[in-house]
Amino acid sequence: MRRVVITGLGPVSSIGIGAAAYEQALRQGVNGVSPIECFDTTGFPYYMAGEVHDFRPEDMVRRLSVEEWGRTSLFAASAARLAVADAGIDEDVLASSRAGSTMGTTGGETQILERLTADSLAGGPTGLDAGLVRQVSSARLSQAVNRELRLTGDAVTLSTACSASNYALGFASDMIRSGETDYMIAGGADSVHRWSHAGFYRLGALTEKACSPFDRDRSGIITGEGGAAMFLESLDSALARGARIYAEVLGYGLNCDASHMVAPDRASIAACMRLAHKNAGIRPEDVDYICAHGTGTPANDYTEASAVVDVFGDDPPPISSTKSMLGHAMGAASGLGAIASVLGIRGSFLPPTINFSTPDPELPAIDPVPNHARTADVRIAQVNGFAFGGNNAIVVLGRMS
Amino acid sequence: MEMSTAVQQEQLDEIREIVAEVLEVEPEEITETSNFANDHEADSLRAIEILARLEKKYKVEIPQSDLPKMENLTAVYQILAERAGWLD
Amino acid sequence: MTTATGTAAAATPDTAATGTLAITGFGVLSGAGLGPEALAAALADPEPGNASELYEEPLPRPEAHALVDFKVRDHLGRKGTSFFDRATSLGLVACKAALADSDLEVGEDNRDRIGITLGTTTGSAKSTSDYSRDTFTQDRPYLVNPLLFPNAVMNCAAGQAGIWFGLKGPNATVAGGHMAMHNALRYGRNLINCHYADALLVGCVEEFSPHTAWAAYFMQSVEGGDLPAGEGAAVFVVERAEEVRAAGRAMDAEVLAVEAGVFDPPGPDGAFSAGLETCLRRALGRAGVTPDEVATVATAWNGMPRLDDAEEAAVTAVLGADVPRLRVTEATGEALSATGAFQVAALLARHRAEPGRDGEISVITTRSAEGAAGAAVIRGWSRVGGHHG
Repeated sequence: MRRVVITGLGPVSSIGIGAAAYEQALRQGVNGVSPIECFDTTGFPYYMAGEVHDFRPEDMVRRLSVEEWGRTSLFAASAARLAVADAGIDEDVLASSRAGSTMGTTGGETQILERLTADSLAGGPTGLDAGLVRQVSSARLSQAVNRELRLTGDAVTLSTACSASNYALGFASDMIRSGETDYMIAGGADSVHRWSHAGFYRLGALTEKACSPFDRDRSGIITGEGGAAMFLESLDSALARGARIYAEVLGYGLNCDASHMVAPDRASIAACMRLAHKNAGIRPEDVDYICAHGTGTPANDYTEASAVVDVFGDDPPPISSTKSMLGHAMGAASGLGAIASVLGIRGSFLPPTINFSTPDPELPAIDPVPNHARTADVRIAQVNGFAFGGNNAIVVLGRMS
Repeated sequence: MEMSTAVQQEQLDEIREIVAEVLEVEPEEITETSNFANDHEADSLRAIEILARLEKKYKVEIPQSDLPKMENLTAVYQILAERAGWLD
Repeated sequence: MTTATGTAAAATPDTAATGTLAITGFGVLSGAGLGPEALAAALADPEPGNASELYEEPLPRPEAHALVDFKVRDHLGRKGTSFFDRATSLGLVACKAALADSDLEVGEDNRDRIGITLGTTTGSAKSTSDYSRDTFTQDRPYLVNPLLFPNAVMNCAAGQAGIWFGLKGPNATVAGGHMAMHNALRYGRNLINCHYADALLVGCVEEFSPHTAWAAYFMQSVEGGDLPAGEGAAVFVVERAEEVRAAGRAMDAEVLAVEAGVFDPPGPDGAFSAGLETCLRRALGRAGVTPDEVATVATAWNGMPRLDDAEEAAVTAVLGADVPRLRVTEATGEALSATGAFQVAALLARHRAEPGRDGEISVITTRSAEGAAGAAVIRGWSRVGGHHG
């Protein structure tokens, strides 16, 4: 089996676009949450989200014509473009190689579906724009990546909701590990829209202004968006072309709660961590940092922290949530978390949990890296991803030794 | 002003219908004191759904902090009556 | 706690690329009804029904390959099903039929090793769109139904199937549109061969709704097609072929190869056909099958000349003009992601009905307007005699 490494990063986030800007924002604990601009928030009590206001797909993609693709597909293609540039691989070499992509998502192109819904309410279905109708398919997220970069291999969109990037990263690593493919782009993408903002509000899972994971007074998520892409290849390939190696994908675990569509399951999450450790060939004590799912809802953070203690004992490694800065970028979330972890491994720092003020007495063992990034030697990082449907996915990343 | 028993019964039956539909049981199974969670397998999501339907139907706002108290029909009625001003 | 008997790291080299899959049972719910017999009958005499009474909202046309009398409670009971959307309902009923059709037994000892991989286009477009609509039409934009929120998310059918059947293994949803079955088979094959799971329910689901009917109508119109919308689900119980064989268990089919790729969209330059041709040749090569061994090609034909012609050109280039084509969508309609699953189900339905076809090799091709292409090779059997591959 081949060892699999990450040699390119492409974050498109509310706190920074591109690896350098993203790393700087993580180190500074930048808040990417702002008043929503992409839809009219009239009537919504809460109106904040982690939108990527600086996203200019027309300046990022070269082959796709931006009017033919939805925002989420363009997030995916733009992130992929960044990851390939960061990996420093020749585009023509890549296009003629065995190469593909896999992108995770929660809402896919439902921002387009929402627009069609509004159009249909206004003028009935007969006058809908057929070009827009064609853009609704979420398959297009990964297909956009392949088309943008002329990749002729797999294009697989994994719509396993909020852990989807981890599914994608895991699948991509297997494609390379097994020898099925030589290069893969893996990550996720999502866009902010009304329906999920409304849904999370109605569930009582949305907070008003600031997402404060693991805080005693945490009160929910802030929806977010963005694209995440990582460039994966075999260790031999990276060494042969003298590539900068950020990190190694050591393994991952997947399981399903099979108990409830929205409530997290402590025992099942703990089981998923153990699976991930086993598949990565590590022990819990090898983990130096946990990039939390950390949504900021009372239920998630309690369940996640409790499962961490179940697996790691009373002195678990530091665990922080990038969602405090980004909001919940849904299908891109664990991808942006994985990129943050990779940067932490490479740059020896822990991304902070911002907006933190009061420790939660119910979570005494948790060190959430409050408010300020911390210098630390990160040899192995664990990226947690949980989702509706009990779709748990945890990836383990390691420094190249 | 005191509410007539008939009106009260009518409101109670309306609420019972809503609760029964959300919990996927027959209205007769919901007694005034049967516990939604223990007797009818209600979970947090269904509890919020009950709250949301009541808000929509009676055009009131019920804070989610009231959810833990909404454990049976009588409790729901009292909370709703309070929020809708039926007791004024 | 959950313990895995195998791990990714322990898998032998190249298994993800070369290990074949056994299909040990399947369930299909097409516009023709539940079961392989209904599908086989529809293939022999394809005829859309009238779906004009199914919804209050206007439809582009009355004809559809829809399950107009379908009620989930008839199949799964009332309790726990009244808030399922149609896609979830169809998916669960197909999963139930697949599990009943297979000799795989789900129990406490293996439920964490059995998972699900379901293909879709965008989940239940109706559930998501209705959710959006409520934000526009209710007194306040947040007056949406909390209980229906999971329905609006694409992984609802797979997640609910995991709960309903108690399957705690990897639970995945693949948004593939017309590529969904090929994507799901490749994704699922990896899970199986890298030992994340020992068995999977792999298939695709698509519901008929005003939303999908209009989507099919617009997509067909733009491409000069006239195929009515369809719906349904087909789900296959998939396991490692060598283990099924070693255990002396029968299989309905062996998935010998699945290849997929993305090329420039179908057009006059022929680049797309060349791409699909590459997928086809690679699939045959990896299956160890020569073109003359192929008995049937189940194509994704759907009445869109630009795509149909490109597909036909590739199939002809690799397999010749004489291998019989099976146009499954004539019987199942424009069912988007479910089409690929129906292509496989149609071949297996025919195998089950015609023992004379035992051991025949079939090819399943697909393509999308975006330029994605796929080819799979399977060998199928009837249940007469209990074939062990």
